[in-house]
Amino acid sequence: MLRQIWIVSALNFKSLMGRFWQSMVIVVGLAATIGVMLSMLSLSVGMREAYLRAGDPGRAIVVSKGAESEAQSSITRDVAPLIADGPGIAKDKDGKPLADRGLNMGVPVLRKDGSKGYTTMRGIAVEGQGVRPELHIVAGRMFQPGRREMIVGVGAQALFRHMQIGDKVILPDGEWPIVGVFATGDLLEGQLLGDTETLLTAMHKTAYNSILVRLTSQDSLDTFKKALTTNPALSVTVERHSDWYKRVASQSTFVLALLAYIVGAVMAIGALFGCLNTMYSAVSTRSREIATLRALGYGALPVAVSVVLEAVLLAVSGALIGAAIAWVLYDGKQDVFGNSVFHLSVSHVQFELGVTWAVVVALAGGLLPSIRAARLPVVDALRAT
Amino acid sequence: MKFLPLVWAALTRKPARAVLTLLAMIAAFTLVGLMTGMNAGFKAIEAMTRSDRIYVNPRFQGLMPAAMGKQIAGMPGVAAVIPVGEVWGYYQVQRNNVYVGLGDFERSRPEWPVTPAQWLLLRQDPDGMIMSRIQAERWHKRVGDVFTMNAPSFNRMDGTKTWRFKVVAVAPDIALNPDGYLFANLTYFDKSKPLSEQGQVGYFEVMAADPEKGSQIARAIDDTYASSGTPTRSFTDRAGFENGQANGVNVEKVTRDVSLAGLAMILFLTANGIAQSVRERFAEFAALKTIGYGDRIVMLLVFLEAALPCVTGAGVGIGLAAILSGMVNHLLPPGWGLPVPVMTLPVYLFAGLGAAVIALASTALPALKLRRMDIATALSGRT
Repeated sequence: MLRQIWIVSALNFKSLMGRFWQSMVIVVGLAATIGVMLSMLSLSVGMREAYLRAGDPGRAIVVSKGAESEAQSSITRDVAPLIADGPGIAKDKDGKPLADRGLNMGVPVLRKDGSKGYTTMRGIAVEGQGVRPELHIVAGRMFQPGRREMIVGVGAQALFRHMQIGDKVILPDGEWPIVGVFATGDLLEGQLLGDTETLLTAMHKTAYNSILVRLTSQDSLDTFKKALTTNPALSVTVERHSDWYKRVASQSTFVLALLAYIVGAVMAIGALFGCLNTMYSAVSTRSREIATLRALGYGALPVAVSVVLEAVLLAVSGALIGAAIAWVLYDGKQDVFGNSVFHLSVSHVQFELGVTWAVVVALAGGLLPSIRAARLPVVDALRAT
Repeated sequence: MKFLPLVWAALTRKPARAVLTLLAMIAAFTLVGLMTGMNAGFKAIEAMTRSDRIYVNPRFQGLMPAAMGKQIAGMPGVAAVIPVGEVWGYYQVQRNNVYVGLGDFERSRPEWPVTPAQWLLLRQDPDGMIMSRIQAERWHKRVGDVFTMNAPSFNRMDGTKTWRFKVVAVAPDIALNPDGYLFANLTYFDKSKPLSEQGQVGYFEVMAADPEKGSQIARAIDDTYASSGTPTRSFTDRAGFENGQANGVNVEKVTRDVSLAGLAMILFLTANGIAQSVRERFAEFAALKTIGYGDRIVMLLVFLEAALPCVTGAGVGIGLAAILSGMVNHLLPPGWGLPVPVMTLPVYLFAGLGAAVIALASTALPALKLRRMDIATALSGRT
């Protein structure tokens, strides 16, 4: 049986060139569908990746109870030491807990295209560097605690104006010079960083937004969480940093991803009808060949399989072409959406998604024509001109 | 018209092919309709934005003293200043995000679909609320109902964070806010806050006497407060939309590119179908030519064979897109946030043009072939 499938399919593929333009309908259909869908998805996927990279399972974030974003949260100065003293927090070489008192606020920026936007300005404490080992300076120097200085992420520098070393950021208490450029490989690169305590004074604020701690190990989250949530002096929510960003990422990218899938689905329906059309035509073009094979004793199944196989082959090559186009055009391109700076992404996961969609379309579009091929009346088909 | 039976016969010769082609076209034109409609919706909103309404926000997070309003009102060219409070939180469960604007919006939003009688009802009821239809439907509220929201970031004087409003009116929605809106009174809100937080507002809505001067006044306000304790960031309604709403995405380009990809897909399909149909009926066309049909008429026949499904597909597809747009608010989750597609004249024109181009382009090659055909050879069937 397998041998028959092989022979019939091989024969079929040899005649494929004769039906080149007709077959291209499937290839072009799937290339357009997958190309468009993955191009649109590159935005939400890239944004999601940047968020997920920012979340480290070895860290925990503490926010005020029920807060869903850092901006919504407020941790007053008096309770911050209680949190930093919690069990399960890693210590630096001087024995101080690795807990970063964080500030988070919007700061107006001018995008490179001249439009106005916001980005996030983040306050990190001196301890912040131990909590965030991924943070490193690529140009200039780190800001000094207590001084009114900022450092800028490589992403923000690439996409916003006035973000070079020596440029000044206007804050309520005057101008803060940019003294360095940092990289983290994640969402933070689109932001500005300064010293928490100095920023707090400048912004006339009395509370932090969140506390980020490095756990002694990934398993110590429960100990830390239990100690904090059972402490009557605190009203906080503790979440693993990676879980926090997973949730934030889903909230921020949901609509974008949904839009891409809706567009992809509508196009896939169009491609499906094109596929059905092409495969019916292919079967009718091949009717003599099929009838001859059947007369020679080949079974109905190998004939049907050869039809479906042809559809799958064409659809998958179309999907790969579409995915490749999306990859060439968008993968790795730096982009800004709202307050987030990140790289658009078309990764192997999206390639697999495209191929999966193509296989589904091909199976649906090849099935009915393959049944027609299998049930072709042999004698009539042989007689037909 | 007299050729219609001929075209019809050509189409129904392979009914499966005709139907499948039509269905593919309908899908593609539904996409075109939704995409160009979304762009049209975006444009419609942009056209509604005003240059004479200025939003004066704090440059950095936080609140602004209400007294600033009086100073701004004294600035040249300013017709009115409306202080606005804001509360956000959720209704019942955390994912039900709710945002309430508190202020005397009757003066700053003259184009909004709230009647003077409804504004009056709101003013007369300290804890009253005007709900838009979308919001009223979402939370199942009617006039007279109580709407209680949780606002973890907003303390009340009594120590709770639960804010209670009474629905006094349900008003129509506005395209600018696809997610609906909630309005309430600033005085009630301000007086319910802890004493230390009273007298502070979220932002100001400033009306310029002359729309031409909107941006100029916005700049003047920012300059005035640049080195004060509360620096401002002001922009007109129009500028705010241009900068913010799209989040930096070029809506026009994206919707156009997606539409073109959809059209390219069916162009290929149609062109192939017509080429195949002409190839199969070569002898038939030769016969038509023999009995005196001119080149032009034969070409017209082929064109009509391509155009009929294109036009039908475009019509049905756009219709389907219109129906889907009408259901967007029911089909998609709350807070969708993207403009609802609207079917305007440019949308119909784009679809019509798309259909015409596809029909013409797919006719071109086969028609040329028919023109150059050797009738005798074709009739003999040796092609």
